[in-house]
Amino acid sequence: MSDFAAERFAISGDLGSPVFVPWVERHARRLGLAASISERSPTRMQVRIEGPAELVDAMEVGCLLGPIEVWVDDIAREPLNDRAANRTADA
Amino acid sequence: MRHQWYPVGIAAKLPDSPAESLLLGERVHIGRAKGGGPQVTDAKGRALPVLTRFGHVWTTLGTPERDLFTIPEADQPGRRLVDVGTVRVRCSPLRAVENFLDIAHFPFVHTDILGAEPHTEVERYEVEIREDSDEVWATKVRFFQPQAAKSAGGGITTDYMYRVPAPTCSILYKTSPPRPGEWDVITLFVQPMTEELCQVWPWMALFDDASTMTDMIHFQQMIFVQDRSILENQIPAKLPLDPGLEIPTRADMTSIAYRRWLKRHGYTYGAQLVAA
Repeated sequence: MSDFAAERFAISGDLGSPVFVPWVERHARRLGLAASISERSPTRMQVRIEGPAELVDAMEVGCLLGPIEVWVDDIAREPLNDRAANRTADA
Repeated sequence: MRHQWYPVGIAAKLPDSPAESLLLGERVHIGRAKGGGPQVTDAKGRALPVLTRFGHVWTTLGTPERDLFTIPEADQPGRRLVDVGTVRVRCSPLRAVENFLDIAHFPFVHTDILGAEPHTEVERYEVEIREDSDEVWATKVRFFQPQAAKSAGGGITTDYMYRVPAPTCSILYKTSPPRPGEWDVITLFVQPMTEELCQVWPWMALFDDASTMTDMIHFQQMIFVQDRSILENQIPAKLPLDPGLEIPTRADMTSIAYRRWLKRHGYTYGAQLVAA
């Protein structure tokens, strides 16, 4: 069993490349996570991520490196206190 | 890439007649000048800048903006300075450094020496790119090791720090078994011969009054030889600067910080820029 997490990632940096959104969506799919992008600018992106907590951690690690066209300065993580955040799921 | 210092030989073992080698894909010759000091020349016979530090000869194909990094422990009394020798590895020079930074492989590659099952978990540690020194540092790394060093009498939980002061150099600080309050220093200096071939020059500054020099060298060479078969079979051969199909986790944070740092510096020799 692994804790289930729902978090908002506020990603900041040089994010203007058009490859970043599909990259984030693809990386989340590879990890089996749900990802929905709610806000985007060339320097900031907000993504809601849901799934097993350890894989949400792995999503952060992957995004910190990101594609070569993008430079991620920081990822601020915020737990979302809704129903999803209190669930548990099989790892 | 050209404006970095790179190791090309052991200062005490320079050949009398120049030996040919490769640096960043270019031919260089390493030997002794008429006065006996180190001399490195490029393919056109032009003398390249040289430094002798940490038992090794360093050179550059360009004009470095910075002096070579320092290792203050190298001057600390009581340490034994060990030129471990050299290992040629058919892998990206960046892969060699990344492997050196990886703790998670210890129980599986260096079984019953640097790690052992079931002690496979890598506890959380801290990683940062230090802005003042422009270096990657991983601190508060702890790992159980059956035989942490030649001087270790048995299994101990070893504290580690990793430091990347240059793109192809890494320094490991680990608990000194005979002096638990001090750090042993083990370095990996990598000469990038081509993007997929490198010469690795390990060097150590240890507190160990009991082991013979030969024993210390053999211990460290055994570790590097165990790593070589892994390194030569990495796919992709170059170090990806995009995670691509890899799924890095928290335990890989040092590697991720290293790759971020390379990306920030535009250091791409031996790197793969597109997703694997």
